[in-house]
Amino acid sequence: MARITAGIATSHVPLLGVASDQGKDRDAYFGPIFAGYDWTRAWQQAEKPDVVILIYNDHASAFDMKIIPTFAIGCGERYASADEGWGARPVPDVEGHPDLAWHIAQSLVLDEFDMTIINEMDVDHGLTVPLTMMYGKPAAWPTKVIPLAVNVVTYPPPSGNRCWALGEAIRRAVESYGEDLNVQIWGTGGMSHQLQGPRAGLINREWDNRFLDGLTGEGDDLRRIPHLEYLRETGSEGIEMVMWLVMRGALGKRTRALHRHYHVPCSNTAIGHLVLRPDNGEGLDMTDDGADLATAAA
Amino acid sequence: MTAPVPPSGDIHAYLAEFEDIPGTRVFTARRARQGYNLNQCAMSLMKDENRARFRADESAYLDAWNITPEQKDALLKRDYNRLLDLGGNVYFLAKVFATDGIGFAQAVSSMTDLNFEDYTKMMLAGGRSPVGNRSIKANSGDQTAPTETN
Repeated sequence: MARITAGIATSHVPLLGVASDQGKDRDAYFGPIFAGYDWTRAWQQAEKPDVVILIYNDHASAFDMKIIPTFAIGCGERYASADEGWGARPVPDVEGHPDLAWHIAQSLVLDEFDMTIINEMDVDHGLTVPLTMMYGKPAAWPTKVIPLAVNVVTYPPPSGNRCWALGEAIRRAVESYGEDLNVQIWGTGGMSHQLQGPRAGLINREWDNRFLDGLTGEGDDLRRIPHLEYLRETGSEGIEMVMWLVMRGALGKRTRALHRHYHVPCSNTAIGHLVLRPDNGEGLDMTDDGADLATAAA
Repeated sequence: MTAPVPPSGDIHAYLAEFEDIPGTRVFTARRARQGYNLNQCAMSLMKDENRARFRADESAYLDAWNITPEQKDALLKRDYNRLLDLGGNVYFLAKVFATDGIGFAQAVSSMTDLNFEDYTKMMLAGGRSPVGNRSIKANSGDQTAPTETN
């Protein structure tokens, strides 16, 4: 059967894509940000996921104000990089996994999550920047990707609790897929940032780190954080962190952190990155020596 | 099993609370309706040919969209705070500053009380503190409940 072997959280600031595309990723400004992903890049070479379910939000690229799906799953064969107003990022097309995506879509609807199904769309920095952070600049992305877009732009976005529950349903869907597939789930966006109004530039290091703490272990307090708290404490765009809860919900009762990285600033934003292993007796410890890989890479 | 999570419940109270956050315009349904044409107009700048037409004659380009005179004026002046007040959303307005060749941080800084240089310094020093920036009510010592504006 297919199984979810790891969860990854990462910010998806567009400037990180620019830095990579222009070869500035090891300069004085971006170097400390990208260095925090070196461990994960080495670890991914051992993990080799077949498919990544990538939770992200579209930033007025594939979706405008005409249609605002709360949860949309990509069931297409492939997705091109979107032109977000300054030309498309020069990155490979993203290859989908229509069989698994349709299986998940059907399972979720039967599980009472009424998904929007997308067969054709372009994907913006919300999806391609996380791939860049995890894989650098390959000629082709080494994994297939199922995009899952969450509305976090027009209020109200889904609650944190609903996002967590969607993750739980995704886990059930993946585990009912017959083919033996190594599946990861990534939650992207965040951490604290505000891109608008006189309060722009807000960063809350303490809150962000408590959120990172809360994703590890058995606790599920994070699913009860109301929208208002994200807005007040982490800036208007910090609400993107509800997407991390989809990832966390898909990892079962208990998780173990394999890697953690936090850096301020990247443009207007606090960068957060976390690699989690489900820790429920699944026997997923094949790369517990990920730490050794990271040491070797350093 | 996990403890049940109570639903958010009262939509009016939910929306009213957003008005208590200083210096922030939450993109509610009211703003989404008010700014629909403005945001769709900005969205049209995703296409290179539209960017060229916009640059050639901004006023004529905007006249082809059903936006209000206030929205047009604010857009011509790149007054982003006013555009937010008139229903603009930053991800849509980003198409305007991308067309201008201005980065996100620079455009964002124009909405604050800092110039771009000082804004950049603030970010490098760890960003704007949430202390004193959480609640209009708490800042003013006023304990009355906020009221919904839409």
